[in-house]
Amino acid sequence: MVSKRRIEWAVYAAFVILMMAAPLLLDSFWVNRIAKYLVYGMLGIAVALSWGYAGVLNLGQGLFFGAGAYMLAMSLKLASQTSLQQGSDKPVPDFMLWNAEPGAPTELCCINKASFLWLPFQSQWFGAAMGLIVPVAIATVMGTIVFRKRISGVFVSIITLALVLLVRLVVIDAQPVTNGFNGLTDLGWFKVLDLEFDPYILPTYYLVAVSLSLVLFGTRLLVDTRAGIILQAIRDDQNRARYLGFDVPAYQTFFLAVSAAIAGFAGMLYVVVSEFASPTFMDLTFSITMVVWAAVGGRSSILGACIGAIIINMISAKVSETEGFAEAWKAVIGLIFVLVVLYLPRGLAGLAHDFVDRLVTRRPKSADRVLRVSDPSSQLAE
Amino acid sequence: MAQAALTIDGLGVDFEGFKAVNQVSMIVDEGELRVLLGANGAGKTTLMDLISGKTKSTEGRVFLHDTDITNWEEHKIARAGLGRKFQIPSVFKELTVRRNLEVASCKKPAVFANLRFGFGADARKNVDEVLELIGLTDEADHIAAYLSHGQTQWLELGLLLTQNPKIILLDEPTAGMTQAETHKTSVIVNNLRGRHTIIVVEHDMAFVREIAERITVLHLGQVLAEGSVEQIENNPKVREAYLGSKGIS
Repeated sequence: MVSKRRIEWAVYAAFVILMMAAPLLLDSFWVNRIAKYLVYGMLGIAVALSWGYAGVLNLGQGLFFGAGAYMLAMSLKLASQTSLQQGSDKPVPDFMLWNAEPGAPTELCCINKASFLWLPFQSQWFGAAMGLIVPVAIATVMGTIVFRKRISGVFVSIITLALVLLVRLVVIDAQPVTNGFNGLTDLGWFKVLDLEFDPYILPTYYLVAVSLSLVLFGTRLLVDTRAGIILQAIRDDQNRARYLGFDVPAYQTFFLAVSAAIAGFAGMLYVVVSEFASPTFMDLTFSITMVVWAAVGGRSSILGACIGAIIINMISAKVSETEGFAEAWKAVIGLIFVLVVLYLPRGLAGLAHDFVDRLVTRRPKSADRVLRVSDPSSQLAE
Repeated sequence: MAQAALTIDGLGVDFEGFKAVNQVSMIVDEGELRVLLGANGAGKTTLMDLISGKTKSTEGRVFLHDTDITNWEEHKIARAGLGRKFQIPSVFKELTVRRNLEVASCKKPAVFANLRFGFGADARKNVDEVLELIGLTDEADHIAAYLSHGQTQWLELGLLLTQNPKIILLDEPTAGMTQAETHKTSVIVNNLRGRHTIIVVEHDMAFVREIAERITVLHLGQVLAEGSVEQIENNPKVREAYLGSKGIS
C-alpha cells in the first residue's frame, strides 16, 4: 500500500518536472501553445473533482470557465491601449464607443445603461478576484438549490447544461456590455508590479505551470482529507452517508464550489495566455469536450484527467495539421474517445494503476519463490 | 425499571388517504432488543422511515430519550444518536472496508471541520475493534464492492457500531443470508444487546427466536400485540392475522 502511494507521488513529481523543463525544448510559439493546453489540464482537474470524486457530472463546467475568463478580460480590456485611444484619459472599451447612442457621454459610468458595471474593473485585482468569486457564488447558489432538493444523477447534468446555455445566451444578448458574440478582444497584459505577462514570454508559461502545479497538488491533497473521503462516500451512497449524520448537500455544494473556483482560475489563465474571452467558452461542445478529456485521462484520477486534457489537445493539434486529416481530425478524436470508453473505462489513469498494482504485487511473489528455491537446497545441505 | 430510550406516541402517516401507519405507540427501554413483526404491508418499514426521518409523519411524536425528534432531517436524527441499517445493504462500494468504517467514525459532521488529514488514533482503535467484531479484519483493505452479500451486511452493521449510536434500527438484517450467515448475524446482534437499544424488523423466525426478548406485532399499520415470544405465539389475534393457526415455526 505504502509503496503504491509513493509511486503515485513520484508520478506527480515527474509530471511537474517535465512541465517545468518543457520550454527548454520548445520555441515561443509552442511554449504559448503548451501553456494553453496546461490551462485545459486544469479544467480536466476541475471535471475530475466534480465527476470522479463528487459523482456530479457537470455538463456546464464552461460556465465557470467563462465567468472567470470574462471577469479578468473586463479588467484587461480596460487596461488595453484600445480603451484609451478615444481622446479621454479614462478608459472606455472601444466597442462601447462604436455602439454609443449619439450624444451619450463618453464615460464608463454612463455611456450606456449598464456600462457602470465595468467601473470597478478598472482595477485588475478586482477583475482577478471576481474571476474566482463569481464562479464560486454561482456554484454555491446552484449547488444549494439542486442538492437541497436532492436532485441527483442525470438531472443535475441537465440543469448544468441548461444553465451554461442560458448564460451564454444572456452574454451574447447583452451586447452593449459584453460585445455579444464577438467577445472581448484586444486585451491588455496582466501586470504584476513591473512584470507584464506577454503571452509569448517564459514568465507567462511559468505563471500557468506553477498555477497548475499548485492546483494539482492542492486538489490531490484535498481529496485525501477527511472531507474528501466523506465526499467519496457520499458519491457511493448518499443515503447511507446521510444516515451516518453527514449533511450531504453541504459537502456536495462545497466541492462543486471548489471545482468552480478551479475552472474560473483556468478561465483567467486562459485569458492571459490567449488574449481574448468569448461566448464560445460557454458553448455546449466545449463543456462536453472537457468531460471527454477527463474520461480519456481517467475521471477518478486528478493527474489522469489533467494529462488526458493535455494529451488530447496535443493529438488534435497534430492531427488537425496533418494534411490527410485536416477535415477528419474530429472523427479521430471521437474514435479515441469511443475506444477508451469501451476498453478503458477508468481511462489512462486506470491503465497506469493496474500496471503499478502488478509491479507492487509481483515483488512479494518473487520473494516467495526465492524462499521455495532455498528450501530444497537447505535439505540438500543436510 | 429502565429508562425509555425511544418513545413513539400516536405516530401515523397519511399517503393521500392511505394510512400506512396509524396511531402507533410504543416505548422501547434503554438497552432493550425489540423485534417488529408483521406481514408484508403491515407498515414495519414505513414505521422505520418515520422514526429515522426518511418519511415525514402527519401525526404523533417521536422522542429519543427526552428529545423530540419528530420530522427532523435524517442527518440530524442520526447525529442525535439513532443509527439505521437498510434492508438492501448499503455501504460505500468504491472505498475499502477500513475506509468505510473510518468515515463512520468521523465525529464531526461539518465540511470545514474535516479539512484535515487522518481520522486519529482513537478512530483507528475503534475501527480495529469493529473489524474484529464483524469478522472482516482480513478483508480490511479490500474494496467493499468485492465483499459477499453477507459480508456487505456485516460491514453495514459495522458502520453503525463504529458510530456507536444509542439506538439502532435494523431492517431485515438477515435478508438473503445463508443459514450460517444468519447465525453469525445473530451472534453479532446478541453481542450488542445491553450496550445499545436495538429495534429489529425481521421475517426470519429462526433468527427471531435466537435474538428476541420482546416482540411488537404490526398489522395493517397498527400495533396488534406486544409481548414475549410465548405470549405472541399464543396470542389468538396474532395467530389469526399473521401466523396462521400453526404458530411460530
